Amino acid sequence: MIETKSEPGQQRRSANWLQIVTIGRNPKTTLIRAAVLAVLCVVVFRWMLLPVRIQGISMTPTYADHSFHFVNRLAYLWSQPKRGDVVGIRLTPPQGLPAPHIMYFKRIIGLPGESISFANGRVLVNGQTLDEPYEKGSCDWNTDAVTLGADEYFVVGDNRSMAKEEHVFGRAERSRIVGKALL
Amino acid sequence: MKWPRVILLIVVAALVAWAWVALHPGPERLIRRRLDKLAHVASFGPNQGYLSKLAGAQSLADFCATNIDVNVDVPGRQELRLAGREDVQQAALALRASVAGLAVTFPDVTIVVNADKESAVADLTVQARVAGEHDMIVQEVKLTMQKIEGQWLIVKAETVRTLR
Repeated sequence: MIETKSEPGQQRRSANWLQIVTIGRNPKTTLIRAAVLAVLCVVVFRWMLLPVRIQGISMTPTYADHSFHFVNRLAYLWSQPKRGDVVGIRLTPPQGLPAPHIMYFKRIIGLPGESISFANGRVLVNGQTLDEPYEKGSCDWNTDAVTLGADEYFVVGDNRSMAKEEHVFGRAERSRIVGKALL
Repeated sequence: MKWPRVILLIVVAALVAWAWVALHPGPERLIRRRLDKLAHVASFGPNQGYLSKLAGAQSLADFCATNIDVNVDVPGRQELRLAGREDVQQAALALRASVAGLAVTFPDVTIVVNADKESAVADLTVQARVAGEHDMIVQEVKLTMQKIEGQWLIVKAETVRTLR
């Protein structure tokens, strides 16, 4: 049997290495850094960039089912949503700051005051055909014209090859728009 | 007074405040607890016997007032109207018989308690997953609740079209 004895200095070095890897050279500093990082994560991912996982196919091919993205809650602090923006829309009425856990993920095609309709799958804004480069599938939807209110936006998914009845779309109040899709 | 004593005093005061709030919850907290229980009771697993299904449906009906009015209007589905606790119980039993399992949660809840503190409106997102199905069901629902004989009961439940 061969026995190997490690030197006391070697043991101290390995213990020191382990401490550096796990809690750093100065545990107090590490603790403060960890606390700051935790607070930063909470602030960023709760009030600024909401991480979202797509469930469903209504935004394909732009956003694939089960893919991860972020919603920028600060996007509309100083500006209003624009046509073509993909936005997160909350299902429950807004009350305070808390971030919703579930949102619709849709694209804005109509702005306040406009008249929106579908004719043979094409979107008509105030009677004019809207150019939609993001819309890839074939669509045969037809709807009556809807005139949007002063604080309403018309939102729809990019996957128009779905049956109209299976696709959630329509008017959303400005207060329900949580933020703009990032990435 | 020394600092350790001040800190101890603050900790004790915080504990007393926490205990007071925990022992004397306001209407909103009571409703939230009630809704958590409702989600738990509405969920069920596979392989339930008839008696378990019946008990589950009965438990669900216990959250409703006797004259409850339910209106479910979801795009692409037939509109469903229920009137009275008995109807709700029968519908719950029928659902348990037709579906292998259901997991229900209310991830986003907004509660507005009226000035009389005896009635409230809860707007919530219902997230439901039927056993064996890929897609989950997401629906905004509005519940009108009333305090009847010391218990918060649902007097009206209706689906809301988030996008109109």
